[in-house]
Amino acid sequence: MPDWLLLLIPGLPFLSALWIVIGFIFGWNRGEKGERETAFVAVTANTLSLLAMLGLAIYDFTHGAPGHVVLFPWLQSGGYQANISLMLDTLSLTFGVVMATITLVVTRFSVNYLHREAGFQRFFIVISLFSCAMLLIVLSGSALLGFIGWEMAGISSYMLIAYSWQRETAVEGATRAFVTNRFGDTGYLFGMFIGFVWLGSVEWNVLFGDKPDMSGMVVGIMTMGFMLAALVKSAQFPFCAWITRALEGPTPSSAVFYGSVMVHAGIYLLLRIQPLLEQVPLLGNGLVLIGVLTTLYGWLGVQVQTDIKSSLIFSTQQQTGLMLVEIGLGFYTFAAVHMGLHAIWRAYQFLHSPSFLQQTGWEPAKPVPEWLRKRRWLYTAALQRFWLVPLENWLLVRPTQALAHEAQTFDTYVIDRLTGTPSHSNMLSTLAEMQAFQQGKLRLESGVGTGSGLLGKLTQWAAEQLQALEDRLLLQKDEGKMMGYLRRIGVYLDLAEELLTQPRYLVLLIAATLAVIL
Amino acid sequence: MDHPLILLLLVPVLGALVVALLPPERVSLIRNTAILVAVLTLVYATGLATQVDFSSAAIQLNTSIVWNEQLGTSFSLGVDGLAFPLVLLTTLLVLMALLASHMITHHVKGYYLLMLLLEAATMGVFVAQDWGLFYVFWELVLIPLFFLIDRWGGKNRQTAALNFVLYTMGGSIFMLLALLVLFDATPSHSFTFAAMAEGAKHLGATEQVLIFVGMLIGLGVKMPLFPLHGWLPLAHVEAPSPVSILLSGILLKMGSYGLLRVIEILPAAAVAMQGVLFTLGVIGLLYGGLLAWRQSDMKKMIAYSSVSHMGVVLIGISTLNVYGMTGAVYQMVAHGLVAGATFMLIGLLYERTHTRDINDYGSLIKVTPRFAFLIILAFVGGVGLPSTAGFVAELHVLIGGFSTWGWMIVLLSLGVLVTAAYSIRTVKHLYTGPVRLDMEKVDDLHPLEMVAAGSLIAGTMLLGFYPTPLLDMMDVSVQHLISQFTAGSMAQLSGGIMQ
Repeated sequence: MPDWLLLLIPGLPFLSALWIVIGFIFGWNRGEKGERETAFVAVTANTLSLLAMLGLAIYDFTHGAPGHVVLFPWLQSGGYQANISLMLDTLSLTFGVVMATITLVVTRFSVNYLHREAGFQRFFIVISLFSCAMLLIVLSGSALLGFIGWEMAGISSYMLIAYSWQRETAVEGATRAFVTNRFGDTGYLFGMFIGFVWLGSVEWNVLFGDKPDMSGMVVGIMTMGFMLAALVKSAQFPFCAWITRALEGPTPSSAVFYGSVMVHAGIYLLLRIQPLLEQVPLLGNGLVLIGVLTTLYGWLGVQVQTDIKSSLIFSTQQQTGLMLVEIGLGFYTFAAVHMGLHAIWRAYQFLHSPSFLQQTGWEPAKPVPEWLRKRRWLYTAALQRFWLVPLENWLLVRPTQALAHEAQTFDTYVIDRLTGTPSHSNMLSTLAEMQAFQQGKLRLESGVGTGSGLLGKLTQWAAEQLQALEDRLLLQKDEGKMMGYLRRIGVYLDLAEELLTQPRYLVLLIAATLAVIL
Repeated sequence: MDHPLILLLLVPVLGALVVALLPPERVSLIRNTAILVAVLTLVYATGLATQVDFSSAAIQLNTSIVWNEQLGTSFSLGVDGLAFPLVLLTTLLVLMALLASHMITHHVKGYYLLMLLLEAATMGVFVAQDWGLFYVFWELVLIPLFFLIDRWGGKNRQTAALNFVLYTMGGSIFMLLALLVLFDATPSHSFTFAAMAEGAKHLGATEQVLIFVGMLIGLGVKMPLFPLHGWLPLAHVEAPSPVSILLSGILLKMGSYGLLRVIEILPAAAVAMQGVLFTLGVIGLLYGGLLAWRQSDMKKMIAYSSVSHMGVVLIGISTLNVYGMTGAVYQMVAHGLVAGATFMLIGLLYERTHTRDINDYGSLIKVTPRFAFLIILAFVGGVGLPSTAGFVAELHVLIGGFSTWGWMIVLLSLGVLVTAAYSIRTVKHLYTGPVRLDMEKVDDLHPLEMVAAGSLIAGTMLLGFYPTPLLDMMDVSVQHLISQFTAGSMAQLSGGIMQ
């Protein structure tokens, strides 16, 4: 069996997303009557992917896991090389099976849950993309391929949080989640950058192997980059504010993203870079500290929640914090087992949450414990989620906005006047104009060939000069100047020929020729 | 089959014969036959890829039959890593053009017949290994094209067709003269590429440059070079859309491909003319771009944008290093796909609205979402955004150009900027703004058209995401071409000129 077929494991969900997109463009699966097919495609793709994953895992466990497998080279430029490669070891194979199972279960669950929702197809496109992204993260043999999955997971989480984009809180939560995640991505990119500069490749086996040229310091910085990305993705303190606001998506997506799968992507990355972490023992202490803080945050936060989804997410944070502590202390296998079990359990809880009230018989949430009620400050802090969001706003968002405002002013008064702005030619200002336009009475004179601003005017002038040249120089229209000259020459030639047919001029010509020759 | 390339040329010719024998009133039979022939050619050409060893710079799948011993011409065919991608491009584009040809409703038989002949002649240019044969195919291309434009074109089709033929013939005279001078200097009395390259080594620098200029004029008309492009806007505008696809997709590449071959035989002249080539490339790039920016006629805009894009090819060639040359060849293929797709889509849109003026369009995105999707991708591909084939090409040209021309190469970026300006503007005018009532009945793309345009766009994206196969295909041939300009062999060359 050719190795590249392994790509079908993350590839099948991707193909299913593509299929649904194409179907939607052509309109064969739109609306309620398309639900059946959409669901079928998504569930089948995920099932096949899970089966392939299982088959691979069983084969590799019985024959010995091959480790790093290069499928084929992707890009090569000078000393830099990027391969399409997979990392098949115990960690990725087990976690891959767990991920594929959870996404399959969640996809199947959503078929009923989202029945007759307006964005049914959209949901399945994104969930398929996400499932591809997670499998890429888990199986990737290089940081680069992992990053593709990492970003796909980020963008699909953005799209699912903003699933009901009509609501402002959903959109705000989505943006906050995405921006925070991008902040973590800078770390990932930075890690890859160092890998490329020092080693010319970001294959995991190269990064984990001997690095004679890299000093411990550089290894540390690189590891910190990956660590930052992992901390943000797993919503560890102090990047934990986004996840509690990210529950605006449909419940199955919350389950799959924040409850069980994506929140563990960061933990997975930390487990993956275990050889790097071991080389930089100092970072372990940092992880323990952050883990403890996150656990405390989650523990205090969960005490004051009154809705089921928020309670679950805070307790998820508690658990991921604990995993971080385990990793920091060096219990990698323990953390991996913890992660797998927690993912399965939490997925079950999240999927269960919509019917939770029914099954508990509308029992109200438990009151806040006595000791917390007495400590008023702590209570308020927990209720306000430690003011992390206002803190973020105050520290980062507001200054950025202010800076953006100033840049905008500079743009309007200086840059726009230099470069010009896009024309507003195809805009209408009144309703009457609109009517006239629609009936074809009014013709909008577009700004084709006109520019504004200094550079725009310059371009316009140059283009006009060239157009003038084009019209004069070239024979492209029968009215062109050059054609006119040719016509006139033609007329003269006709005249000359006519004259030559008369004997006296012919004789003259012959005489002249003879004179020249002699 | 001992002569696979002859068979490759024969497939469309025989197909044309079959089409000629069909009764003219059975339109759909004729269409399907022609499409079938084009599919066969494409499949066969793709199959040939397995027989060619791209890790060798040698000319492969050779066929050589002496034609005329006194004259020294031979029917000599062969491909290498430079020619083969263009052969594939030709077969692909012809098929797509035929798929999008249903707007041709009169004299259908003649149309398909000529299209298939055109395919054979174009492939002949790319596989010829003898300058005499090259010239024959070069002129042969004109005949079907003249009739295609003249009979099935727009309002000014006669002028356009005549203009096109006169320009090309005018240029060809210079090419023929140059070839004869070169032939005169060839001791082995033969027109084959190899023999003439040998002969050119004995020529002085001035003669080499003169021959080079002659060839450049001949090839430059097709390419088109800046002052010789006068036929192009008119021909592109007047030709029926499928023919425009072929004109900009393949015909322009004949010029630049020929230039590569000329550089191969006249390396010293190429070095001497390096600056001229660069200047012409930059002028073409900016001139075409700015004129495209000024056009409100969409077909004319794309026609000028072709001039601009071929400027990139010329800049790439002028670097005479591996990166630039790779970029140039890559850009030929990339532009073939992108320009083909753009012309096809705009042509199909024109069939529905009967206006090419961009001011007549309102927001079409609700009415024709599939059109919108593909047209936007096509324009994005034209700009050469990352993940499209144009990006790979432009990046190579940029890197190669920087090492040869230094900061002058910033002009290339300026050209890309102009391209972006008019591409985005077109998208804006087509798909944003108020809706027009008279545009509410525009048909969206039919499945067959979707397949034709979609596969060109898909090809662009594929070559953008995964450039390795095409790069591998041409890598060795480009290196072989460039090896003449590396230090060691240059000394030999200049030694030859000193005599």
